[in-house]
Amino acid sequence: MSAGAPLVESKGLSWALDAYVIGAAATPDSRFFVCSLGDGTVRVLDLTDAAKGFTAYQIHKGGSLCFAPDIEAGSHLSGGDDGKLVKVKLDGSTEIIADLGRKWIEHVTSHPDAGFRAYASGKEAYVLGKKKGDEPRKITLETSVGGLAINPKGKRIAIAHYNAVNLYWLAAKDGQPQVLPWKGSHLQTTWSPDGDYVVTAMQENALHGWRLSDGQHFRMQGYAAKIRAMSFPKRGHLLATGGADTVICWPFTGGGPMGKEPSEFGGMVNGPPVTAVLAHPKLDAIAAGFENGKVIVGQPGSTRVMPIVTPAKDKEPSAVSVLAWTPDGDRLLAGTEAGDVHVVDFRSLA
Amino acid sequence: MTAQIPVTVLTGYLGAGKTTLLNRVLSENHGKKFAVIVNEFGEIGIDSDLVVGADEEVFEMNNGCICCTVRGDLIRIIGGLLKRKGTFDAILVETTGLADPAPVAQTFFADEEVKKRTKLDSVLTVVDAKHVMQRLEDSPEAADQIAFADVLLLNKVDAVTADELAIVERKLRALNPFAKIHKTQRCEIGLDKILDQGSFDLQRIIEIKPEFLGDDHNHHHHGHDHDHDHGHDHHDHNEMKHYHDEDMDSVSLSSTKPLNPGKFDSWINDVLMSKGPTILRAKGILNLADADNRYVFQAVHMMSEGAFAGPWPAKDKRNSRMVFIGRDLDAEALKQGFTACQMA
Repeated sequence: MSAGAPLVESKGLSWALDAYVIGAAATPDSRFFVCSLGDGTVRVLDLTDAAKGFTAYQIHKGGSLCFAPDIEAGSHLSGGDDGKLVKVKLDGSTEIIADLGRKWIEHVTSHPDAGFRAYASGKEAYVLGKKKGDEPRKITLETSVGGLAINPKGKRIAIAHYNAVNLYWLAAKDGQPQVLPWKGSHLQTTWSPDGDYVVTAMQENALHGWRLSDGQHFRMQGYAAKIRAMSFPKRGHLLATGGADTVICWPFTGGGPMGKEPSEFGGMVNGPPVTAVLAHPKLDAIAAGFENGKVIVGQPGSTRVMPIVTPAKDKEPSAVSVLAWTPDGDRLLAGTEAGDVHVVDFRSLA
Repeated sequence: MTAQIPVTVLTGYLGAGKTTLLNRVLSENHGKKFAVIVNEFGEIGIDSDLVVGADEEVFEMNNGCICCTVRGDLIRIIGGLLKRKGTFDAILVETTGLADPAPVAQTFFADEEVKKRTKLDSVLTVVDAKHVMQRLEDSPEAADQIAFADVLLLNKVDAVTADELAIVERKLRALNPFAKIHKTQRCEIGLDKILDQGSFDLQRIIEIKPEFLGDDHNHHHHGHDHDHDHGHDHHDHNEMKHYHDEDMDSVSLSSTKPLNPGKFDSWINDVLMSKGPTILRAKGILNLADADNRYVFQAVHMMSEGAFAGPWPAKDKRNSRMVFIGRDLDAEALKQGFTACQMA
């Protein structure tokens, strides 16, 4: 079991930003953390002088609803309830990528290497290449988009909606999607690193997955809460998920998780559910955040867990909404629904 | 624990006066800031970033059971609104005249995140006094919306005669014996009468009084549908009222004898399991044997909840009351089942 003081106390910094942390990402050079918040700001932290804290830029009139790195290194995309998808540079300068008026931009993702961005509002999804002045390709679905994910090669996009996930080729201007049907409302979606599996988290407390190479599909259930987070490590040997009182990791080696038991780590029986998970970019370690604000780093199957943040005792606990690693794996950011942000430096532990 | 944000659902047929009411809620100075989820922006006179468009997407959960249908768009929109908490105090959801109100209500019980952060306050249906009879003839949704309501705003009363109004009111009562009815012109009503009603709050459901035609105006009495027990029941027997309106029914049950808790529990579970799809709403205030407090029960289709809610008012007799509203209800079977729950 975990022991000792949480790492944030000796190797970290914490801030109270006072608004829901929607999304966070590190720049490819691992120098900056950037996050978007429910108050419509995008905040930038320079890790070479982290003690100075975040610089805030007001981007949206209302709140930010989604966030992703842009295809241009160092820039980020924030979609808001003002209908705007805004590209934000590290110095706070902005460019409006899309303006959908009174509609909310609820999902955004990008693939910097392939040069594609995708965003969605209601039943409409848009794919935008890197060429300036290009019109986005508009894809209209029968039902509202629950999640977007571009595959690791940057060739296809999975769009989760009600009763199916549709797969489209990013470079195509039109064409019929490959439809992966399954009854129910599909929300977040992700690809395995080898691109063979598509997995969605559903409105029910369950995951659904498809293996593209042979069309098999499978259901993973037994969760106590809605699965708000899932993450494949780079090796792709497992899928770490939230939604239970421990981090549930489904094996994806040797033919996928069908008929197999998941392994788990962290948490307490009947404790608060896991609300965020993110695999370390290099090591076999997974960061997990809980509904009470606790953050840990651990390994599937191991009982040794490193405490990163313990729930604040002096205020109401708030769920971890966001985790982000720097690409070099040295630093971890955790953000909560109440706007508490912690950044921990692992370098001296290596 | 974070305070739950109250949600009022506003239904009614096109032209009944919903938009008038919505614009009043948005523009009047009542010290509350509303986030409003509308079906279309159309005539909403207020350009606020807290007015959000919805798609009325009905989702089935758990393999298509009617009782597990929810509004996917509401889950999404409310999730989005909650991410900027602190900027509004209450939510108003407008639906079209064609919408089924049940999935809207069920959304607030079925989705755990929505349930944790918001609470359904009441379903408010605006009814056009002049056209409602015709609507009831030609569209089944009109009856659903009236039957489902906690508060009925009988609007445009100036457009009908007193006799016509009495007929309309009796019709509304037949469809829905427990809703509060307010008569208005141009939806002019104190907002305190429609907001913060706590209709789904078990602790605040203090009476179920099927009042057939209120006491404050002229009406024609018809012996068979007049309620004799305005809080002072003299009959030592089991009462049942049954109002049939085409296929929409309401059944009111009452008992002066305490109920056996185990029997009641298994009976009501059985009723909801077998008849849930046809039951729109059910409410009960019950005198369970050996319990000091009132047991309050409510259901929307198969979703139900019950809890003890405070002592009986001293002056009241401990009479159990239940109301079912739904389609093709078997009144006799309900009565027999209810009667069988009484202590010997």
